[in-house]
Amino acid sequence: MKKSKRVLALLALLVMLASLTACGSSAANSGPASGGSGKTEGEKIKIGILFSSSGTTAGVEQAMINASKMAFDEINAQGGIAGHQVEYIHEDYASDPATATKKIQKLIQQDEVLATVGCYTSASRQATLPTLLEENSLLVYPTYTEGEEVHPNVIYIGAMPNQQATDYIPWLIENEGKTAFLVGSDYVFPKTCNKQAKILIEKFGGQVVGEEYAPLGSSDFAAIVTKIKQAKPDFIYSDLVGDSIVAFYKEYKQQGLKPEDCPIASIATDEMINKAMGNEYAAGHYTSMNYFETLETPENKAFVDAYYAKFKDGSTITTLTEAAYDSCYFLKAAIEKAGYPCSTEDLIAAFAGLEMDAPQGKIKVDEENHCTWLYSRFAKCNADGIFAVIYESESAIRPEPWPQVVYPELGGKLPAKPY
Amino acid sequence: MSVLQNFVSGLNVSALLMVAALGLVVIFGLMKVINMAHGELIMIGAYMTYGTTTVLAWPFAAGMFMAFLSTAWIGIMMERLILKKLYAKPTETLLATYAISLMLERVIYFFYGAETKFVAMPIPGLLEIGGITMPYYNMFIILFSLLLLFFTLYLFKYTNFGKKVRAITQNRMMSACLGIETANVDTWTFGYGAGLAGLAGALLAPVISVTPGLGAPYLTESFMTVVVGGVQSVIGTALGSVIIGEMRTVLGGFTNTVMAKIIVFVIIIIVIRFKPEGLFVTERR
Repeated sequence: MKKSKRVLALLALLVMLASLTACGSSAANSGPASGGSGKTEGEKIKIGILFSSSGTTAGVEQAMINASKMAFDEINAQGGIAGHQVEYIHEDYASDPATATKKIQKLIQQDEVLATVGCYTSASRQATLPTLLEENSLLVYPTYTEGEEVHPNVIYIGAMPNQQATDYIPWLIENEGKTAFLVGSDYVFPKTCNKQAKILIEKFGGQVVGEEYAPLGSSDFAAIVTKIKQAKPDFIYSDLVGDSIVAFYKEYKQQGLKPEDCPIASIATDEMINKAMGNEYAAGHYTSMNYFETLETPENKAFVDAYYAKFKDGSTITTLTEAAYDSCYFLKAAIEKAGYPCSTEDLIAAFAGLEMDAPQGKIKVDEENHCTWLYSRFAKCNADGIFAVIYESESAIRPEPWPQVVYPELGGKLPAKPY
Repeated sequence: MSVLQNFVSGLNVSALLMVAALGLVVIFGLMKVINMAHGELIMIGAYMTYGTTTVLAWPFAAGMFMAFLSTAWIGIMMERLILKKLYAKPTETLLATYAISLMLERVIYFFYGAETKFVAMPIPGLLEIGGITMPYYNMFIILFSLLLLFFTLYLFKYTNFGKKVRAITQNRMMSACLGIETANVDTWTFGYGAGLAGLAGALLAPVISVTPGLGAPYLTESFMTVVVGGVQSVIGTALGSVIIGEMRTVLGGFTNTVMAKIIVFVIIIIVIRFKPEGLFVTERR
């Protein structure tokens, strides 16, 4: 009797401690939803920024917060959106999907934001979807993602799988060789991307000689590297994410594999991870992204200079930073097109066909599928740890949330139930 | 050939596990305290190595030394300031150490941020014999962990301090009556156990990414090792780590890494069911 009481007390305390770390402050109060708001001239436009500044993914998301704030500060300095200044409200979801739900509720219900730019992981985005639908609000989502979801209340500014792989894989097969070994983290993003990668590899005359997944966050790659050494592939196609990337690249080099024989071709290893793992491990490997910090466009130089002049917190610009920045400008353009004040429906509809000169080049939101036309680029990391771009598409390429090579029956269109 | 290669790679995994688990078993064996902050002590050891080798550019050995000293100091403070007051209350110590683990993680976030820190490989290169490869650094880890194991065994078997520890383990009240300053012995043992966690962190730092969250998975793995080997036995923990480390890599070679992890868990559950005291604990009256 006494013992079970104690266990209960223990459990209760554990739960309290856990919730202490999860949410920083404000508990979302589920008060009355914001009604039709009669905004007046000169009033500020409220926009939410929902990224983590604590928790496991805070390191990645800090640069996204910075880029969003920078974009809105620039917009305000240029006179705001259609004559209105922007008031942005940043909420930290602490790398936790459940907290993301609470924070999006807070932003919509208490702060009455017009729209939100935010979310990094797919899990956090998905945690906000029911609220977005129920409250009829808009999320502009900047992360490259696995696709197979087009939610009516979300605009996707990050790359879809086809934009990272359709040009990349044929090039790898032609220049590195026919056999590929797929390595990924064991969750939805790598598994969905690899469905497409396998079809593309075979379509272009290549062969998949192995496919391995490591538990999310795992840092033990001894068995996987041994398998790779046995299979002797011409290249490794990696969709590992997060801390696993560093552990894998280190084990690869430790076990004597060399980029000259069998480079790692990644779709998630970015500038920040290269910096963290060190040049000797990063050099000689490939990455496919829409954007690299080293791009020589005037827009990008201005963006990079402005960023590093403003933020000296040690953060690194990656494709995610640029996408967050673009998201804010797309949102501005959409509000101007719809005319402020506007309903959420009009605002979402206004995104279709919007174009902008982003740091990566001329990009646009697709007329039909809520996703964005982006450049396909890939780069090889040189001995100084810098990405040297070796390919870029002539113009932005069309996003396919359901890639045609995987779903030929859809012909690039959306399925009947797209979320 | 791949089985042999995986076996050789598994030795390294086992050695790291053993160093991580030794600290846990030393503390639990004497004080019956389940140290939930063990993973964070490993993490702090890794950050100390980062600070010493990357920021100050001192040699790796200095990093290991600093990792040991700093975590041992944190351990001693934990014991003196908090755990001493919760003596013989297992649930409360569990909670207190869990709270400490959260605080330590936050503190590191606050000072270092969330991005991954870089620690250079102190011993690059690898040895290759007949197609089987082994990095020099892995050899160092294995040798060092064996050294640490023998030192720990020597410390608890043959030194005056170790004899006191064993006396207290058998009968705390009686030892106190005979004039052993049990409080001091507790503090130093806790410090030593915490220091071992720091050393594990130092050894891990060059091969994984150093982030504030790195300790948590190692806490679980250390616990599994201790449970399989026997909660009071240093030798048992060493053998337990070899069993788990080897099973993971060798099975990972036959199936895949995710499946191997599941199989290891299932085997551990079966072991606990039939031998709850652990595989290598001899009955003692």
